[in-house]
Amino acid sequence: MNWSADTDKGEYGSSTGEPTYTCELDDNVEWLRKTEVFSSIPLERLRVYALMCNRRRFRRGEFIFRQGQPDDKGYILLSGKVQMVREYENHSVIVHDLEPGAFFGGLALLADIRRLFGARAATDVEVLYIERETFRKILRQFPELIETILEVMIKRIVSMEEKILERHLHECVLV
Amino acid sequence: MIHKKPLWYWALTRCRGLQAVLLVLIVLTIFFRVFPLEMQKRIVNDAIRFRKIDALYLYCALYLGAVLLAGVFKYAINVIQGYIGQKILYELRTGLYRHIVRLPIPFYRRTPPGMVISSVTGELASVGDFLGGAIAVPAVNILTLLTFGIYLFTLNPLLAVLSVAIYPFEILLIPILQKKFNRLNSERVTTTRKLSNVVGEAISGIQEIHANAGYPLESRKVERLAKALLDVRHRMNLYRYGIKFTNNFFQSLGPFLLFLIGGYLSITGRFTLGALVAFLSAYEKLYDPWKELMEFYQGYQDARVAYRRIQEAFDVEPEFALEPSDRPPVALHGAVTVEDLIFEVEDRVRLLDQVSLSISPGERVALVGLSGSGKSTLAMVMAQLYRYTQGHVYVDQWELKDLTKADVTPHLGFVSQYPFIFDGTLKENIIYGRQASLSDGNPSTESEADEPPLEEILRTVESVGLTEDVLRFGLNSVLDEAREKALGQKIVSLRRQFRAQWSDALQDTVEFFDAETFLDYSSVAVNIIFGYPTEGGRPCEILPLRPRFRRFLQEVGLDEPLIRLGLDVVNRTVPLLRDLRDDPFFFRQSPIALEEMDTFQEIYEHYGTATPERLPPAVRDLLLGLALRIIPGRHKMVVVPRELKDAILKSRALFKAYCTERDPDAFVYYSETAYLGARTLLENILFGRLKEEASWAWARITEAVVDLLKRENLYDAVLEIGLDFEVGSKGDRLSGGQKQKVGIARAFLKNPRILILDEATASLDMASQNRIQQFLDGDIRGKATVISVAHRLETIRDYDKIAVMKSGRIVEIGRYDELLQKKGLFYELVRGHG
Repeated sequence: MNWSADTDKGEYGSSTGEPTYTCELDDNVEWLRKTEVFSSIPLERLRVYALMCNRRRFRRGEFIFRQGQPDDKGYILLSGKVQMVREYENHSVIVHDLEPGAFFGGLALLADIRRLFGARAATDVEVLYIERETFRKILRQFPELIETILEVMIKRIVSMEEKILERHLHECVLV
Repeated sequence: MIHKKPLWYWALTRCRGLQAVLLVLIVLTIFFRVFPLEMQKRIVNDAIRFRKIDALYLYCALYLGAVLLAGVFKYAINVIQGYIGQKILYELRTGLYRHIVRLPIPFYRRTPPGMVISSVTGELASVGDFLGGAIAVPAVNILTLLTFGIYLFTLNPLLAVLSVAIYPFEILLIPILQKKFNRLNSERVTTTRKLSNVVGEAISGIQEIHANAGYPLESRKVERLAKALLDVRHRMNLYRYGIKFTNNFFQSLGPFLLFLIGGYLSITGRFTLGALVAFLSAYEKLYDPWKELMEFYQGYQDARVAYRRIQEAFDVEPEFALEPSDRPPVALHGAVTVEDLIFEVEDRVRLLDQVSLSISPGERVALVGLSGSGKSTLAMVMAQLYRYTQGHVYVDQWELKDLTKADVTPHLGFVSQYPFIFDGTLKENIIYGRQASLSDGNPSTESEADEPPLEEILRTVESVGLTEDVLRFGLNSVLDEAREKALGQKIVSLRRQFRAQWSDALQDTVEFFDAETFLDYSSVAVNIIFGYPTEGGRPCEILPLRPRFRRFLQEVGLDEPLIRLGLDVVNRTVPLLRDLRDDPFFFRQSPIALEEMDTFQEIYEHYGTATPERLPPAVRDLLLGLALRIIPGRHKMVVVPRELKDAILKSRALFKAYCTERDPDAFVYYSETAYLGARTLLENILFGRLKEEASWAWARITEAVVDLLKRENLYDAVLEIGLDFEVGSKGDRLSGGQKQKVGIARAFLKNPRILILDEATASLDMASQNRIQQFLDGDIRGKATVISVAHRLETIRDYDKIAVMKSGRIVEIGRYDELLQKKGLFYELVRGHG
């Protein structure tokens, strides 16, 4: 028998499209590479991140995290749809719809903050998550990554802020 | 008080009966020691000289008998002496320890634990050794000396006087040497204590040492002291053996004189040959008792030094009496009045200055202020942990200073910010305070008798929000035999119900043990066995070493594929983790443990590309072991090829047949109808395993399991098992929050009239904090006076009184709203927090 030619996909069968010899770790690496924040990290370091990530499934309607609650994880959506929901006193607004591959909740990796919005599973979903402690431990091991990651993170925040400002400007003009 | 008594007190007052027996034995021994000398003389002078065979036999028999009896008595003396010593040591040690644990907290601020430990263990032991023989040794030896001396004198006065004449010189010379020796010995005690301190400190600070790689620094500290110890020990030896030398020299002068003068007398016929033989023997016999006296003298000096050092070190009085001598303990109702309280520490530093505060029973009072304001100190003074300098603290109408521990502790609960957790079970830690006050400080031999009922413990556990943790500990325990017998069958009968109700909902969380599927969340070894070895131990460690198992693998053709898998794991894991060796964190999800990295890195470098058939047997063994421990669902860097999984699955039935035939009792196989003794309670209920140890998985499981357990009346039983969780040294198997909750439960369980919380909820999350606040607001409200040093000001909104402290004084006092309106210090504190 020739064992080495066999294939086995990751536990949840998220195929990367190639009939090669993939383990969950390799699969995680692929997902990480597809996200902006991690894409610039050298592969061998990325493998460490991939090792320390975990997967979790949520059923439709479950909250991945809730507005106002502390949470220490950053997420990548692997399958299904996630809605970002901002709750107000008597109604809630869907801020965003996320598609597979989206990286969300990443600010929690940098600081202990309360969530500004909630993330709800709109279908059955699977996510890949990394915890703040793990994230920081890896940065401590490879300090050269800090710059790369911080830059991307800050750019994300800036662009978010820009969007908000733009919207405000819009509203001002309208009024 | 143990430490106040002089050293000799112990020898003279303890075990008097045994000491008397000892003295009788001593006198007898001495008789049987002298007797053979007389026989010697008679054998030579009487039997040999007059050729009387019968007399020779008789004297020899008597000689032998006497020597034998002397030996037996000596043995008895040694045993009794040792026993007396150890018995006194026991009393000394327990007494000293009773004293030590009651010494005031400030004493321990300046006394390192290492010094206390070496006092109670090593230093005291030498005192005990000495005390055992303190009466017997000098008595036996002085008597022996005297007896032999007299005997010598009767044989020949002149010779006797001459041979004893050398001793006075020794008696003058040796104490001088000894004095110097003692000074060094005292120095040795100091150095040894320092050494214990340094080692003790290093162990408590090991985290800091690792974090800073402070190994050379620490080693140097020990080296310096070890060097000093070497030095002082060496100088001590110079004196010790100097004393020995002096002693020996004078001893050998004796025979010299005897031969010279005795020989002369014998030749001139004024002394019989038999008498000379007896004289020489007797003189030789003087040597032993003298030597023993010398050793006793040295031992006495050592013990004296050690004893004095211990006396000095612990010559401190406890701050509060244990129990009242002239009245029964009082019952407190919880009113606390502080009047002009002043608390000073060394150098007259005032930590509390003119503090006045009045609290009625059942009131809730918060102490707030910046750190260093004295709020914790005030709490500790009110908890009778410090003795105050001036002013008054009245509890009800009594001055706190004059109340004893027996008055106060049963009615007072104190929770510090970091409660200490003792090595032992969770339950022992929770009932600690209750048990101590129930048993009046004298724990009965059966500890169960002191235990509060289970329901009460569980209620307290619930009120501090620890139930979920206890449940988890319980579910994660492997039952002991007695419990397995009691619960096993009930648990097994839960399985089917559980499966029917929950198997779909928990599909993501649990992997059920199914004989027909490969278990991704069990090791490869377990997948082959579908069970575990009867004698315990981890199958992946035991199996590779068993030749029969290896033969089985070869027969079913799994040997090569598994070794290949092992090599593949090495190739995937080593490059990933070899740079991360300084943090064990990264090895949590690795099949290769941190300490094995060197071995496997070597394999990676040498054989990474080799074909398995070419590998040396030792490497093949290692790789097989590695492959067997792979848990495919957990070890992400690994992939177990589908065909291999199928092959393993196929081998399962073969393995069972193979083993049943050869050694039917070697393994326990998973079976839905039997309790699996080596698996945890949870795994037995699930008949499966958690896919992930994450908290969300636990939340789901708890929901399912609790429901079932409650329905079957097993819930409390599981919690009881959880209470027996071993928390580890200093509670290191508990999280910070859990330790805190244990500390709070410990105080709550005492049902105290006064509850003092010193930032007791600081390390808890909001939910836990709210739960405890609820308990304080509800169950405890009005029943106990609550004094709370608070850091989170939103928790004290509806307290009856808030005392705001600054530099040891109370600067503001009032209700939350009043203080806010005042716009003073409290207002600023609240704003600062917001």
